[in-house]
Amino acid sequence: MDKIDKSRFGWVGPDPEHQEGISRPSITYWRDAMNRLVKNRVALVCLCIIVLLILGCAILPAVSPFSGREQHLTEGNASFFTPCTDTRYEGQGHVHIFGTDRLGRDMWTRLFDGGRVSLMIAFSAVFVNLIIGIIYGGISGYYGGAVDNIMMRIVEIVNGIPYLIVVVLLMMVLPQGIFTMVVAYATVGWTGMARLVRGQALALKNQEFVVAAEAMGAKPSRIIARHLLPNALSVIIINVTLAVPSAIFTEAFLSYIGLGVPVPHSSWGILAQDGSQVFQVYPEKLWIPAIAISITMLSFNLLGDGLRDAFDPRLRR
Amino acid sequence: MAKYILKRVGYAVVTLFVLVTLTFFMMRMLPGDPFTGEKQLPEKTMAALNAKYGLDKPEPVQYIMYLGNCLHGDLGLSLNTNRPVTTIIGEAFAYSFDLGIRAVLLAFVAGVLLGTIAAIKRGKATDTVCMLVALVGVSVPSFIVASVLQYYLGLKLYMATGVRFFAVTGWEDFNSKILPVFALAFGSLAQISRLMRTSMLDVLGQDYIKTAKAKGLSQKAIIWKHAIRNAIMPVVTVLGPITASVLTGGFVVESVFAVPGLGGYFVRSIQNVDYTMISGTTIFYGAFLIAANLLVDLAYGLIDPRVKLEEG
Amino acid sequence: MAKDMNNKVLSVNNLHVSFDTYAGEVQAVRGVTFDLHQGEVLAIVGESGCGKSVTAQTIMKLNPMPPARIPEGEVTLGDVDIVKATEKEMQKLRGKEVSMIFQDPMTCLNPTKKVGKQIVEAIVHHTHMNRADAKAEAIKCLSQVNIPNPEERAQQYPHEFSGGMRQRAMIAMALSCNPKVLIADEPTTALDVTIQAQIMDLLAEIKEQVNTAIILITHDLGVVASMADRVAVMYAGKIVETGTCEDIFYRNAHPYTRALLKSLPSVDAEKKDRLVSIAGSPPDLLDPPKGCGFAARCARCMHICREEQPPEFTIGEGHTASCWLLHPDCPSGEERGEKDV
Repeated sequence: MDKIDKSRFGWVGPDPEHQEGISRPSITYWRDAMNRLVKNRVALVCLCIIVLLILGCAILPAVSPFSGREQHLTEGNASFFTPCTDTRYEGQGHVHIFGTDRLGRDMWTRLFDGGRVSLMIAFSAVFVNLIIGIIYGGISGYYGGAVDNIMMRIVEIVNGIPYLIVVVLLMMVLPQGIFTMVVAYATVGWTGMARLVRGQALALKNQEFVVAAEAMGAKPSRIIARHLLPNALSVIIINVTLAVPSAIFTEAFLSYIGLGVPVPHSSWGILAQDGSQVFQVYPEKLWIPAIAISITMLSFNLLGDGLRDAFDPRLRR
Repeated sequence: MAKYILKRVGYAVVTLFVLVTLTFFMMRMLPGDPFTGEKQLPEKTMAALNAKYGLDKPEPVQYIMYLGNCLHGDLGLSLNTNRPVTTIIGEAFAYSFDLGIRAVLLAFVAGVLLGTIAAIKRGKATDTVCMLVALVGVSVPSFIVASVLQYYLGLKLYMATGVRFFAVTGWEDFNSKILPVFALAFGSLAQISRLMRTSMLDVLGQDYIKTAKAKGLSQKAIIWKHAIRNAIMPVVTVLGPITASVLTGGFVVESVFAVPGLGGYFVRSIQNVDYTMISGTTIFYGAFLIAANLLVDLAYGLIDPRVKLEEG
Repeated sequence: MAKDMNNKVLSVNNLHVSFDTYAGEVQAVRGVTFDLHQGEVLAIVGESGCGKSVTAQTIMKLNPMPPARIPEGEVTLGDVDIVKATEKEMQKLRGKEVSMIFQDPMTCLNPTKKVGKQIVEAIVHHTHMNRADAKAEAIKCLSQVNIPNPEERAQQYPHEFSGGMRQRAMIAMALSCNPKVLIADEPTTALDVTIQAQIMDLLAEIKEQVNTAIILITHDLGVVASMADRVAVMYAGKIVETGTCEDIFYRNAHPYTRALLKSLPSVDAEKKDRLVSIAGSPPDLLDPPKGCGFAARCARCMHICREEQPPEFTIGEGHTASCWLLHPDCPSGEERGEKDV
């Protein structure tokens, strides 16, 4: 065996600074999730698409020379990039970027006009669901016991009623419009969110930090708002993201079967319905809203997937 | 097990009751009475109908009568055709059921297969392709799929090749059924395959899969004998909602492909504001789906041996 | 049956196992060497995360690859090198030559398959018996592990079994094809204390009855004392000390082994004696320390410990330890300037 110098055997004792080997630099849960999300290219691209879409729907109809409702009867069903020949716009060199529909309305403007309506319906419907779901599920999960039992029975019954059918029924009864659509969707759509929040609340409420808060005399409302919700937030965010496409789909579906927002409003569903009537002659009239609907739904779905991957603690290593 | 069945049946009955009540009061909220449609009925018929459906009586009595009529299977007369709603449903639903059951079966079988394959090949090209297809499936509404399939595979392909691979409309022979079934199944197929993939990955990470591997079983045997049955359970629980979405998806797919099913009738009755037809169909659809949900719940009880112990 | 020191059934030589995670390469096992002889019980002891389970699972190649990798080393079972074996060859070995019981019996049995069927499956797979014979065999296995009414029990689902019963069923399954090596990965950790004793008794009984060598993985030194012929103490992916039970309990040489024993509660300890915990936690194997893995927590740590990994020193027949204190040039405590902390 090699001779080793005695000095190297000098005593140094334990090294408290390096004792906690396994503990990595501590990053918070949210920071970690965000890091992961930023690494997910697909989700980021989808986020960009969604932001662009929202901006487009907010700005483009305002800056377009045409209004979504005005009819250029002489130039119905024009194809892409047709110069506008309407007398009102003579010599101004405007172009119907996506052509026109059968009444000569500018498709480009109508598409983003319709996007406004569709997205607004989707967002408000999901928002209303979220509020109802959080309150209902929070109460149910927090109080537990008999309250929870009864409240969840009710959810189960509401859940058993096929939602599209109730929505159709409600749309028949209430005056047609954006508000009605939100109400109809929210009447049956809140159960999913309520279940989710309840599940989260149940899982969280037995954890030590909640018991600690309770022991220190915090009020139930405070515990729900300050402790349970922030912890359930990741799950809620994911599901909100995934609920948006379903709301968009519902709007499109209802418009398609003739229960959409009333004329002269446009929405993606209405554009799709108009388009499908002339599909065999002018396929692009369906393609345009169809692609808009599909891309939006796809983006939200992919973003939701990305968020789930980012938040899912099981994937943390 | 008996307790479990009883509980499920109880839920189904209550749900159905809620739905019927909801329908009744919503129809009450409509302006006028259900017989003042666009088409004016003769005075005498009107009085007879009012008497028959008890519209001259106070509301609680009407409600009881309405419940009674529903129980007897009397859903009133269609305002447009003056035929009993139940007769129309009876005729038309046969087509819808035929279409729907094929679509659900296709969605289930293909979805489970696709999801399983994607899970086994996790991270490989096969997985990516399967999940891309599934993503398109969940992101494109069925009426778009239907229109596109009809135009490109039904029409353009015929015009290009001169061979009629798929009929564009109708519901007769096999080749007229392919496109509507696929259009209707695609979304659910995609949903099931995504769910199945997640569930399969979850199961494959379980300890008992490790046990099976430690026994020396091959990957194939592990998947078929141990993983599939357990992974399929979450899929079975969504079969209820899937049936609902296939049935409602049928509204538009039937319209697009001119299948003489109930969905098409429903859409037309909405467009024609045929109130009795709408409420009758709503109740019928509701009852059907609640029954389907019940069946799924019971089937779940059969597949998962643990349910018996917990509930009964 | 007595152990047969001339009949080596398993030999692990300089085994390294790494996991590729998104944070980098985790070197879970960093050069483990040991032999196992027929009928012998080898206990591998260590804290959680020291690599003992990974070592065990690598012997059966149960770790999914990727992310796991074996960059170096051999594992020889009978005459097969497991590191080089294909998946097909492994399928013939698993359950037949070497089998395993896991920590948590609650999750290790398929909840939707009858217990008997799960055992029959293993038997049919390896012996080509027909179903009826295999079934009889499975029932025999169940009665061998002291499960009452084995015929009836075989027809039940795992959720109808208690935790201890499930672990018995797992053991029956593992032994159904008479493997040469049985790996028990913390077989009692998830069980109640009284059940723990029963399961250990059962393993001891089995060791006497059949000629299976057992690798017992545990962090419970009490379990070790009652059963093991030899003990290997693992820390940070390496075996730091190995020897007979007596060697480890009474003649131990590695500071980690000592610290581990000190942290063990004992009934006859004086009231004033307090339990001694080891301050800190094991090193991060994403970036293992240059020197001895235990250096940062070791009360007797020296300069050299932080700079160089200690080689293995032989203390007696079959008793080795990896610690610089055992180096012949190492001066006395006084000369080193050692203080009590």
